[in-house]
Amino acid sequence: MSAGAGAAGIEVRGLGKTYGEGETAVAALGGVDLDVADGEMVAIMGPSGSGKSTLLHLLGALETPSAGSISIAGKRFEGLTDNELTLMRRERIGFVFQFFNLLATLSAEENVLLPALIAGRGGEKARARARELLQSVGLGGRLDHLPSELSGGEQQRVSIARALLMRPALILADEPTGNLDSTASAEILGLLSELNATERHTIVMVTHDPGAASIAGRVVFLRDGVVAGEVGGGSTQRVIDYLASLEG
Amino acid sequence: MRSFNSLALRQVRARPLRALLTGAGIVLGVAMVFGVLVLSATIRGTFSDLFDSIYGRTDLVVSGEQGTGSLPASSLRRVRRVRGVAEVSANITNVWTLVDRGGRAKRSASGQLNVAGIDPRAPDLTDADQVAGHRPRHGREIDLQRSWAETNEIRVGDRIRLATPSGVARLRVSGLFQFSTGLDFGGQGFGTLPISVARRLMDKPRVYDEIDVVVAGRGAGATRKVRKRIERVLGRGGKGVQVTTPSSRSADVDRQLQSFDVILLFFAGMALFVGGFLIFNAFNMTVLQRMREIGMLRTLGAKRSMISRTVLQEALLLGLVGIALGLGVGIFLAKGLVALLKALNFPVGGLVVPLAAAVVAVATGVLTTLLGALNPARRAARVAPIQAVLGGAEVREHPTLRRAALGVALVGLGGAGAYWLAAAAHPHTPQVAAGLVGIVGVFLGLSLIVPFLVVPLVRALSWPARRASSVTGRLAADAASSNPKRTGATATALTVGLALVVAFGTIGSSFLGSISSELDRDFARDLTVQPRGFAPGQGPQQSIAKGLRARLARIPEAAVVARERIHFLAELPRPHGATKTQGLIFGFDPGPYSQVDQTELKGASRKAAYRRVARGQVTVGETYAKDAGLKVGDRLVLRGGSGSQRTRVAALVKTVVFGGNTIGMSVQTMRRVYGVTADSQLALKARSKADRPLLDRKVHRIVEHDYPQLVALSNDEFKSKIEDQINQQFGFFNAILGVAVIVSLFGIVNTLTMSVIERRREIGVLRAVGATRWQVRRTIVNESLLIALIGALIGVVVGAGLGWVVFHGVAGAVPGAAYTPPVGTIISVAIAAVILGLLAAVLPARRAARLDVIEALSYE
Repeated sequence: MSAGAGAAGIEVRGLGKTYGEGETAVAALGGVDLDVADGEMVAIMGPSGSGKSTLLHLLGALETPSAGSISIAGKRFEGLTDNELTLMRRERIGFVFQFFNLLATLSAEENVLLPALIAGRGGEKARARARELLQSVGLGGRLDHLPSELSGGEQQRVSIARALLMRPALILADEPTGNLDSTASAEILGLLSELNATERHTIVMVTHDPGAASIAGRVVFLRDGVVAGEVGGGSTQRVIDYLASLEG
Repeated sequence: MRSFNSLALRQVRARPLRALLTGAGIVLGVAMVFGVLVLSATIRGTFSDLFDSIYGRTDLVVSGEQGTGSLPASSLRRVRRVRGVAEVSANITNVWTLVDRGGRAKRSASGQLNVAGIDPRAPDLTDADQVAGHRPRHGREIDLQRSWAETNEIRVGDRIRLATPSGVARLRVSGLFQFSTGLDFGGQGFGTLPISVARRLMDKPRVYDEIDVVVAGRGAGATRKVRKRIERVLGRGGKGVQVTTPSSRSADVDRQLQSFDVILLFFAGMALFVGGFLIFNAFNMTVLQRMREIGMLRTLGAKRSMISRTVLQEALLLGLVGIALGLGVGIFLAKGLVALLKALNFPVGGLVVPLAAAVVAVATGVLTTLLGALNPARRAARVAPIQAVLGGAEVREHPTLRRAALGVALVGLGGAGAYWLAAAAHPHTPQVAAGLVGIVGVFLGLSLIVPFLVVPLVRALSWPARRASSVTGRLAADAASSNPKRTGATATALTVGLALVVAFGTIGSSFLGSISSELDRDFARDLTVQPRGFAPGQGPQQSIAKGLRARLARIPEAAVVARERIHFLAELPRPHGATKTQGLIFGFDPGPYSQVDQTELKGASRKAAYRRVARGQVTVGETYAKDAGLKVGDRLVLRGGSGSQRTRVAALVKTVVFGGNTIGMSVQTMRRVYGVTADSQLALKARSKADRPLLDRKVHRIVEHDYPQLVALSNDEFKSKIEDQINQQFGFFNAILGVAVIVSLFGIVNTLTMSVIERRREIGVLRAVGATRWQVRRTIVNESLLIALIGALIGVVVGAGLGWVVFHGVAGAVPGAAYTPPVGTIISVAIAAVILGLLAAVLPARRAARLDVIEALSYE
């Protein structure tokens, strides 16, 4: 637990989250420990109510933990104000959502550029990077298209490009293929694993699709708010087997 | 839920804040209608109390025609001798001002005393009861209305100082009386004193202003007969004597108040109109939002009529709550308006709340609510059951060209109606109806056109923000133009109020500009002395005794002191059966007057014209001449309480004073016909430019010391006084229009709230990718500003256009009036729009900023 160990990557210790108070209190997370090394890709699986979404929200600085600590690239979350958490999201975290969540009135390029615009750094350099990223996700020819003019897979690629724009320390993907057909899913998973392999992006992905999870280097299973176990990635069958063993 | 019908109630209860915002327009609209009706009833009540009090037992009132001028003293003797006349009491009247120990005149309404000089031996025909002391018997004694005396802390036996036309007089209070109606004349008081003293102080020798008669025998028949006899006796020689009953006097006041009522009710109606708009807009939004739910109800077997009924029921429920609240708020508004009128020195007493006013307010409120909800209800009924599956989130409304064409037609027709009204010198019911309906038509048409203007206007207005590549500006612009119909409707609601403010501002500034340039052109004087608050045409005016003119003329620096006598005439002479017109009559001495006045005369040289005026001819204002078909040399008959005179038109006067409805004559003619003996204004000219400051100082000293009810004004002060008077009157109307603007403010809040709900996910994304709460807030504020600015921009353009159209209509009727754009009003409207935009955004922006990010993101 030395500071050095967490300086790069993610270090989660005793992370807990309780909703409500007194008798109606519900513990969504009850002490999770997790380390994700710099450049690693980790999938998180678990049945509904296991706390995987809560973990993702906490990692994404969308919520504050009730107990324990998180640090990303050496920056700890505890005790940060809303504005500091906002800055954290802006500078260190990239989100990929199940429903893409692009702004309907902005073009693909503008959607990618959005975080830079919000940060007040929408200069030519950022624009060039946005175009470059769209190029790299295979949408170089569709910069001016509105989300409604793009397919689901294309929209998700735009949102991945948006997540990459600010060169975040961590990319969080929440069921990134949950709303896509199998072909588009395969494309998106290919893209994520390529980003991890060639550009060493740190990725944490929540999914309930064993096939999606298997592209990660490591699959962590949650149950009842605690880590129930983990297996190495790379094989869909292994993930399915492990799931079965947990349920059995 | 016991039946399908209670669904509406559930909808309202589920979203109380939304209901409140939607109903706010109805609350304020109904409040305005109710308040205005109460105000009108209160004014009428005040005057009917006044006549009941003053005329008590009186059956007939004899006065100069339309109450202007005086009757010769011999009239009393002749009336007394008429068969059937049982009792007679004659008086002269004046308005005096209470002066404090320091010699300062009390400025407020409660410093004003309506004084009657009476014969102490004549019977008291009023409704007064002596409650302390005795009636004045002789000498400098005065009997006062108790409530006025109490307000001013005056007791029986006190000596009080009153500013009279002859200077400050000291009078002993002989007693106090009380009217049984408890008359409250807006704080003004009443008093009586012996006529012998009154004649000297008022400078009204050998005349009576009014003779009150009690008829022997009962019934309308007896009164009618006596009336005929008096008319025969006094009217011999075509004199303008008027014999009326007290009740017809109150009917006259009613008639005079009618146009005031129409304007007030129209403005109140506009507030309600905007309120209906709010309902329309809000329910359209709700129906869109509930598409899925309505579809579900249809799949469950709800019929179309049931769906539309739920919407109407929900609206009606809101409407009824709004109406109930509106009646309450209306009372406060009425109190506020009464206070405003009092501040304008208009006599109004305690509130009169007639049941009819409540009934009308409730009926118009219900009607507006139902009209507003009609279209949304029909749309709701058209929702297909399949929408239960598809949902309605993506329904975006785009305006059709057919609507725009209809809108343009409505605006054109409406504008024409407004022009017709304005161009009518004497508007009758058809013109008034066409004008008012026309203005409503303009706004309805506008609501159809504005959605087309939203996208380009948003682009133009958000240009600076986009230029600075501000996300908040860009997103706000996108939000505002994503639903042009909604943005358009919201902006139009604001446009209505602001456009009317600008239109009225245009008319005000044009008249002010015309009067002001006329004064610049025509005033050759250096100073004007007149009673404080001098406003002919607005009730009895104070006057100036002739002693002052002589005294001012003795100042060595004074080259000329010219007198002017100005009186209001409810009906100018009508040669060739011309329509009935109010106007002012001016009396002056041609010689001195020509040295202080350069007013352009037409049809004769000034010298020739004034020579004829001295011989008894008259000058007439161009507007009046045009309406009555008068040319130079035409015959005209003047009839007044003191006599009648055949005369000719000596020249036409180019003037916009009183809309150009004026007749000028010599003071001798005025005295002979109308019995007017007191001056209204003194115009002074210094011997040289160098003498001006000294003259100014000396006149001020005399006026301030001995005539505290008078003021001495330089030409600039004179101009700014007129400006103040006009601005005050427009301020009163603007205060009423302000309510319509406030209603539209709620409309913006409502639309923004909907916008925040619709864009929850978008806001969640913004927050997730690093937008601060402050940035989210700014997006909403920017959207609000865009809507408000669109509303203001269109409001200014339409208002200026409407003002221009109306003004040109008026200018056609009033020669010499020139268009002046209301720059001040436009600037204030722009500032108001920004403030409104910021205000409207407060709650929605806070709501957006506080949105829970996770919930917003998981929201489908």
